[in-house]
Amino acid sequence: MISGLVQILLWQGLGELVSHFLLPIIPGPVLGLIFLLIFLLVRGQVNASLSLVSDAFSQHLGVLFIPAAVGVVLFLPQLRAHAWSVMAALLVSVVSTIAVTALVLRFTAKRDAHDS
Amino acid sequence: MTPDGLKIAEIWVYLSGSPLFALILTLTAYQVGHLCYQKTDKYPLANPVAIAVLLVAICLYVVDMPYQTYFEGAQFVHFLLGTATVSLAVPIYRGISSLRSRLIPLLVALLCGGVVSIVSAVGVATLLGADAAIIGAFYPKSVTAPIAMGIAERLGVSPTLTAVFAIVTGILGAMLGSTILNLLGMKQWWQRGFAMGTAAHGIGTSRAFAVHPEAGTYASLAMGLHGILGALLIPLLKNYL
Repeated sequence: MISGLVQILLWQGLGELVSHFLLPIIPGPVLGLIFLLIFLLVRGQVNASLSLVSDAFSQHLGVLFIPAAVGVVLFLPQLRAHAWSVMAALLVSVVSTIAVTALVLRFTAKRDAHDS
Repeated sequence: MTPDGLKIAEIWVYLSGSPLFALILTLTAYQVGHLCYQKTDKYPLANPVAIAVLLVAICLYVVDMPYQTYFEGAQFVHFLLGTATVSLAVPIYRGISSLRSRLIPLLVALLCGGVVSIVSAVGVATLLGADAAIIGAFYPKSVTAPIAMGIAERLGVSPTLTAVFAIVTGILGAMLGSTILNLLGMKQWWQRGFAMGTAAHGIGTSRAFAVHPEAGTYASLAMGLHGILGALLIPLLKNYL
């Protein structure tokens, strides 16, 4: 458990350093994620301690963004003024994203089946 | 004030000054939300985070605590977001290593879906006259919340609005996903799952796992890849739009 956490923190630290000095446009944790992913792809396996920590995080990822999301109280007047446009935008966006992704997959998969 | 009232006030001053209050509030609210989610058989509207945010907001209002004071205490939870983001590499790695043969069509579909999610949200909001702060927060909203908030910071838009939009997007996707996919006549579980994960990140993935394990695996891969691609491409896209 501890060794998994140490590994993740080290990759996060490396990501933050690279983000700070070389690639300021990409958030440090995302760079850390990419480094760890490359490391795992090269090694070809996940050690038990790392997968334990990662499973714990992904099971309750939601709890971690509560503090920031509660900040919505500061935006309530703004959101109330634009409530309809926000809801319409989110609704149209989610429906079209699901539809387009699904249709593109079906199209490319069909072409694959024809090729082989 | 009576001596008793004074004592309670003293305790309150002590508690509200330490991170303990914010931490207890955050975790208890999440616990309640999680319980509701389990009890309603994972119904998307009973989203644990949405319930927790509502409960915390009501509590802060009742005890008249400014958000800044709450966040000072809760930042210990907030800090772990970065660490959790890094740990997402593990599920993405598992997904990639088992689904390698289909990776190219999946990436193509993901790119199309990601672009559509941004263009449609930004387009509709602009048409209906939403203000710039809100429109800016729409860009990363289909990406999983921890990464979306990181992207929002780099774009100079509010991570809070982004997180809230991401949660609402996830809930809408989880509620409407099956209906849309049925209307389109989608029959393959892997295609259905991947579409859910692309559009509705973690909340859609949780829904996909509840419907079918194959759909869930593909949804979580879609969520992870969308996170990586989003962090790389959304800042570029925003500069050109």
